[in-house]
Amino acid sequence: MNDWAAFLGLPLWFWLFILPTILAVGAAVFRNRAEPLLTPIWQRLDRVYTAFGALAACFMSVILLIIIAQMVARWSNVAFQGSTEFAGYAMAATSFFAFAYALNNGAHIRVSILLNINDFTRKWVDIWALFIASIIATYFARYAIKTNVLSEMLNDRTQGQDQVPDWVLAAVSTLGTWPTGWGELWGRVTGEWVFTPVWLPQLPMSIGTVLLAIALWDNLIRLVVTGRSHIASETLI
Amino acid sequence: MTELYATFIFLFVLFLLLGSSVWVGLALMGVAWVGMELFTARPAGDAMITTIWTGASSWTLTALPLFVWMGEILFRTRLSQDLFRGLAPWMRWLPGGLLHTNIAGCTLFAAVSGSSAATLTTVGKMSIPELRERGYPEYMIIGTLAGAATLGLMIPPSLTLIVYGVTINESITKLFMAGVLPGLVLAGLFMTYIFAWHYLRPHERPEPLPKMGFGEMMTESRFLIPVLMLVFVVIGSMYFGWATATEAAAVGVVGALLLASLQRSLTLDTFVASLMGATRTSAMIALILMGAAFLSLAMGFTGLPRALAGLIDTWNLSPVVLIAVLTLFYLVLGMFMDGLSSVVLTMAIVEPMIRSAGIDVIWFGIFLVVVIETAQVTPPIGFNLFVLQGMTKHEISYIAKTAIPMVVLMLLMVVILVVWPELATWLPENLSKNAR
Repeated sequence: MNDWAAFLGLPLWFWLFILPTILAVGAAVFRNRAEPLLTPIWQRLDRVYTAFGALAACFMSVILLIIIAQMVARWSNVAFQGSTEFAGYAMAATSFFAFAYALNNGAHIRVSILLNINDFTRKWVDIWALFIASIIATYFARYAIKTNVLSEMLNDRTQGQDQVPDWVLAAVSTLGTWPTGWGELWGRVTGEWVFTPVWLPQLPMSIGTVLLAIALWDNLIRLVVTGRSHIASETLI
Repeated sequence: MTELYATFIFLFVLFLLLGSSVWVGLALMGVAWVGMELFTARPAGDAMITTIWTGASSWTLTALPLFVWMGEILFRTRLSQDLFRGLAPWMRWLPGGLLHTNIAGCTLFAAVSGSSAATLTTVGKMSIPELRERGYPEYMIIGTLAGAATLGLMIPPSLTLIVYGVTINESITKLFMAGVLPGLVLAGLFMTYIFAWHYLRPHERPEPLPKMGFGEMMTESRFLIPVLMLVFVVIGSMYFGWATATEAAAVGVVGALLLASLQRSLTLDTFVASLMGATRTSAMIALILMGAAFLSLAMGFTGLPRALAGLIDTWNLSPVVLIAVLTLFYLVLGMFMDGLSSVVLTMAIVEPMIRSAGIDVIWFGIFLVVVIETAQVTPPIGFNLFVLQGMTKHEISYIAKTAIPMVVLMLLMVVILVVWPELATWLPENLSKNAR
């Protein structure tokens, strides 16, 4: 399988890396016209990042609930099969969904010595850092999706004892299928429990990494247009 | 020769990306990608995701967000007032008086929080104004606080130790237990410094405090009970093997929520703020850990760790010299980076080195925390200095100067750890048998 197969006549890397770069350069050149055009998009994107941050927070509460359930189950000698795997999946969802939100709130850390020399370096080092970070995050997202799709195609199953009812799989698959396939999809549902297919917990990875890449390109464009990125002051641990 | 050339390019990219402000987690991924392309024919992208997915969905890591969350909840309660009120009656009799509340407060809060900045803020927001009002000299207030807050990373729970444990695949419970005694010894050293100040600079002592009856002392101490219970439940459950580190964290979150609601400081706002704050912090750490996981995979292909470990072997360095060199190395690294990043960045190379030198990895974790703590209070990059600057509006250079005695004490702590390694290794080796 070619990782960068052509899409609409151009290799995939053009769409993933070159096109956003052209957009960013274009936005920098036509700064004044771009700003009013982009401002409503920025507001919506901010809301999307925060919404996924809230979703991540929900998954963090799910970790807590799973672990409490696991302890209660142990004390009362009830088996809670696959609790550690489920907690792990929730952990992955917590991290991946929150990446863009954390970035937009300045939670991710970096070495800021060069950045803090003067206003000139603050702008240009930041542009460079955002650009490189965008490329890396886009690469990350591209392979996260590839791995996720492969897991689905190869029908990879968990190596633990965790099981999910098959209607959950059907419900999630519904979102990714054309309505014409829904009948067939739900026709196969029997209500049985099956070992978790790996693609299900990997979905947050695909979604979260794509969102992180978008957030980085987004902030790069904001920086070249308005002179400052939306990334708030760096927080401390 | 081409190998050497490739190694050079690899290291150059490493310094370039990290130095030019690319976010640490993503920079590590970029460096690892370059390493994979240079040193192996394996498809880099697929190997990257396999490694990252395994690490990101692991059970061990789940302790991280929960401990962060627990600290976030307590940070937003009235715990700092309670700590000061409860501790003050006990400290006023000691030579050096209420300055000891800085040390004792940090030690206690460190036992429920895994971060040194949170420890610093929580204790400082109450103790700085109180101590100023009583007339203690400014340099003693700031200096002891800057030093003592680093206990947040040493006394369990500790985010740095979780990250270390996840990176080298060691038991987090053992690491936590290893931190207890060295943390208390370090607190003792800081208190000795206050005693010394009391006797060496008598003219700087503030006016003696009014007498306090025994009954009043006891009633004031009741404020400490909830937090002491929380400390006992979290650390005790791990020590006696009732719970894994993750389970202890879950119990801690529930306990912190209970404590906050008992104080009536748990509103919907503080709950949501703690939840979102914890989500951000754990996402930040998770991204770094993902970059580190991919980097250590790539490092394996570069052959650098093996070559360095072999080199150290042929030099026949004694472990003491190796530790001295590493101390210096981490102090220099700490001038440019925060503690977490320097741990994840270096472990891929340092781990084989210390294993081949026969150094206990649990002990090394504690050593690493002390050295990183020291770097936290030395300029130009020292997070504790930044936090204190924000709180007190003093210059960084002034704060750093007041903290110099603490830095000396922490380096003394490294020596103590080398001379008596049992300090760190005794407790984890004698853990209850059913502890995991």
